[in-house]
Amino acid sequence: MINVDATLPKEAFVIPHHYYDDVESVLIPHGLILNRIEKVAQDIANDAQGPLVACCVLKGASVFYADLMNALRKAQTPDRKSIPFSYEFMKVKSYENDKSTGNVQISLSEDELKSYKGKHLLIVEDIVDTGRTMVALLERLKQYEPASVKVVSMLVKRTPESNGYVPDYFGFSVPDYFVVGYGLDYNEYFREMEHICIISDVGKVKYAV
Amino acid sequence: MINVDSTLPKEAFVIPHHYYDDVESVLIPHGLILNRIEKVAQDIANDAQGSLIACCVLKGASVFYADLMNALRKAQTPDRKSIPFSYEFMKVKSYENDKSTGNVQISLSEDELKSYKGKHLLIVEDIVDTGRTMVALLERLKQYEPASVKVVSMLVKRTPESNGYVPDYFGFSVPDYFVVGYGLDYNEYFREMEHICIISDVGKVKYAV
Repeated sequence: MINVDATLPKEAFVIPHHYYDDVESVLIPHGLILNRIEKVAQDIANDAQGPLVACCVLKGASVFYADLMNALRKAQTPDRKSIPFSYEFMKVKSYENDKSTGNVQISLSEDELKSYKGKHLLIVEDIVDTGRTMVALLERLKQYEPASVKVVSMLVKRTPESNGYVPDYFGFSVPDYFVVGYGLDYNEYFREMEHICIISDVGKVKYAV
Repeated sequence: MINVDSTLPKEAFVIPHHYYDDVESVLIPHGLILNRIEKVAQDIANDAQGSLIACCVLKGASVFYADLMNALRKAQTPDRKSIPFSYEFMKVKSYENDKSTGNVQISLSEDELKSYKGKHLLIVEDIVDTGRTMVALLERLKQYEPASVKVVSMLVKRTPESNGYVPDYFGFSVPDYFVVGYGLDYNEYFREMEHICIISDVGKVKYAV
């Protein structure tokens, strides 16, 4: 786990032309993300108790998911074997209703969810902010009786809005900045940028809906 | 475009322990896939007429999609600018009914599909076999009046079952082998393997449902 606080000057990095004015600074450069992912994958491999069902939470985690799966492919368990894993993709929407504190809508069918019984799930998320979505998702998945559920998040935000939930594995702990890039979007923009950056006021206005 | 015909000995490559007996041989090594992708991305960038909506056809194309997006990020248009692109993910199921030769079910909502009007779409597929799914998908997408639709497929199979459809861009042309790996599955197995391989009889039995 790496605590990131200081920002880096955008002039020192290759930023796509079309986003240059739309970001304030670089928070986490792409190369650092990849290096950290290698270690996170190794940690996951060390703890794995069998084949994993690796579930990508679309769309924000898609870039992180791809690089994490690539690293997991190379990682070895303590007895020097490779980890079998399968690919799953889901959209997750959390909402509140009168009856409980949180609920989630998952874009998988009942049959697909039931197939998780007895399996080891690895939920791959881009950012844990308030923690509400993840807590509600874990609550819901419990009903399908997986053997285990672990969560790996690329980022965890340090925010007073947090419900205290901390994922099993995460890449970086960051302050409450408005981050974009490496899969993280602002109205569907910025996902294709390789570094995690802080959006600028120009960017917030340009891509507002 | 590269025509691949001859297979390579699996003993010469790093194959995950758990799949070693399940593959016959290597057809396209991972490094070669990545090198080819760099060029495909450059070809796409050279032709691009604006921002792209890059649609990944889940799940088989997910690994190819990730590497292609990474390469697209680095590619430059003829006037040396980067290409803006956004991420989209969809599941596509083709079926036949009495009324027409082919139909598709797309996992996107009507609203999402309508938002494609006037946009440049890039459909990212893993393999074009008979060509039926892709032809039906393109037919359906036309109704939403995109500015353009281009298809990039990692593989094209040389098969007598083909309807003659050829994608705008593709990585490799392969014979009618039973290929797995690099996102391509056999009953959800093999996706995490980095090379494209030919499955063995042992593998076909082991992972049969």
